[in-house]
Amino acid sequence: MSAREHFAEHRRFYIGISSVIVLVLAWELILTYIFPVNPFFFTKPSLIATAFKEQIQGAKLWHDLAVSSQAFIWGFSFAVIVGIPVGLVMGWRRRVEYSLDPFLTALYASPLVALAPLFIIVFGVGVLGKAALVFLLAVFPFVFNTFAGVKSTDSLLINVIHSFGGGEKDLYVKVILPSTLPYIIAGARLAIGRGLVGIIVGEFYAASEGIGFAISQAGDTYRLPEMFVGIIILSLIAVALTELMRKLELTIAPWRAGEEVR
Amino acid sequence: MNTRKFFAEHESFILGTGFIVLLLAAWQSIPLWYTLPKGMALFFTTPSKIALAFYELLLDGTIEKHFYVSAIAFLAGLGLSIIVGLPLGLIMGRSRTLEDLLDPYITAANATPRIVFLPLLILWFGIGIWSKILIVFAGAVFPLLINTYMGVKNVNRVLVNVVRSFGANEWQLMKIVVLPNSVPYIIAGLRLAIGRAILGVVVGEFFGSSQGLGYMIASAATNYKVDVVFVGVTIFMALSVILTLAVKQLESRLASWRPETAKTF
Repeated sequence: MSAREHFAEHRRFYIGISSVIVLVLAWELILTYIFPVNPFFFTKPSLIATAFKEQIQGAKLWHDLAVSSQAFIWGFSFAVIVGIPVGLVMGWRRRVEYSLDPFLTALYASPLVALAPLFIIVFGVGVLGKAALVFLLAVFPFVFNTFAGVKSTDSLLINVIHSFGGGEKDLYVKVILPSTLPYIIAGARLAIGRGLVGIIVGEFYAASEGIGFAISQAGDTYRLPEMFVGIIILSLIAVALTELMRKLELTIAPWRAGEEVR
Repeated sequence: MNTRKFFAEHESFILGTGFIVLLLAAWQSIPLWYTLPKGMALFFTTPSKIALAFYELLLDGTIEKHFYVSAIAFLAGLGLSIIVGLPLGLIMGRSRTLEDLLDPYITAANATPRIVFLPLLILWFGIGIWSKILIVFAGAVFPLLINTYMGVKNVNRVLVNVVRSFGANEWQLMKIVVLPNSVPYIIAGLRLAIGRAILGVVVGEFFGSSQGLGYMIASAATNYKVDVVFVGVTIFMALSVILTLAVKQLESRLASWRPETAKTF
């Protein structure tokens, strides 16, 4: 009875796990016994696992990850530093909103990765080019989510600050920023995805190191297991970061649990 | 007094376009007050040069040729993602077992930028149109699927029970309650999907390609033809802005009751 209750409670987890296990087993068995795998064209879990072990013990993977994360962190930090203040001012000053909104919306809605070749050629294949690309892609979620957060601030709270003689600074620090925080974190979640696109495209396009480069190089040289290792690691990082943001969002703003914006 | 009133009424439009015009003018005037060093001048262009390059490329048919290829990849990929994403989202919303079974893959695939699959797709399907169609599909299918699924999940339980009580079967339930209630979500998903699809077209054509607007941008960048790069970027910008804002318009008409949230593309 209790085992049954336990299952009912964690149903999603158990079914999900078994679905993954079954898929991996089927993949392995089918490619071992039914269609023997052509290693230049496809691969199977056991080969990926071997490659995974080798990669984790080697130094190259860690080096690639370090290179990519360095560019990501620079670009992302600048996106935070620039995006949040711009969003705050846009939300609070009507004329700033009117001036910036059409321009920034157009940029947000456009595939700015199209500028990747230009960025790489102008800023070089090093950290700077990729960081600039990450910044360009990640800044807009911060701007627009901060903006929406400020817009949704309870006007009652603003009046309270005014009534008690609070200044502009009190307003920002005590009311606007706290009520905007959940929006900013939701923005960070979107920005992570977009920033990763920037890193990957930048490294696909031209690089000599980095996780995106490792994936594309493994593809070019038909080393499929290594390519899958790269994809899986990137996927794990992306899921971990996204879930972290989701948890953070739920911790500081539990009332927003239902409103999924993806 | 009258101009003041006019300004007050159209303030948002005047400030919005004014800012863009001002930026373009500032950009155009950079060479007038500052001579760029030789290395920088190579990467520099002005709006007037971009407009000229656009006009020339339009006249000799280059844009038309590349646009046609990109449009096919975009439409085929997006169409495929609608054909797959919509029904799957509907079924996942109605069946808890299927939802639990597919959840790990969908969560992982949604968090991962699908662009990483490009080398794999090129390896499997070659550098022709299919790898582009499939990368567009991979990008666009998840927002559609997830939004459809969210729409089905958020259908009012009372309505479902009413229709059930009157003896509707699953198919009728879908048609009468679930589908109409999910439409605003589906449209929102479509808007996101369009953005991802265009991203897929651009990046898909950057690598191992000889046609398409993405190829035009990449090859122009390698040859330092910065104005041509901006022609390509401008076309993509215009297309995404027009398409997403059109869908956004439809969305706000269909779901004016939904609380305002941050813009996402």
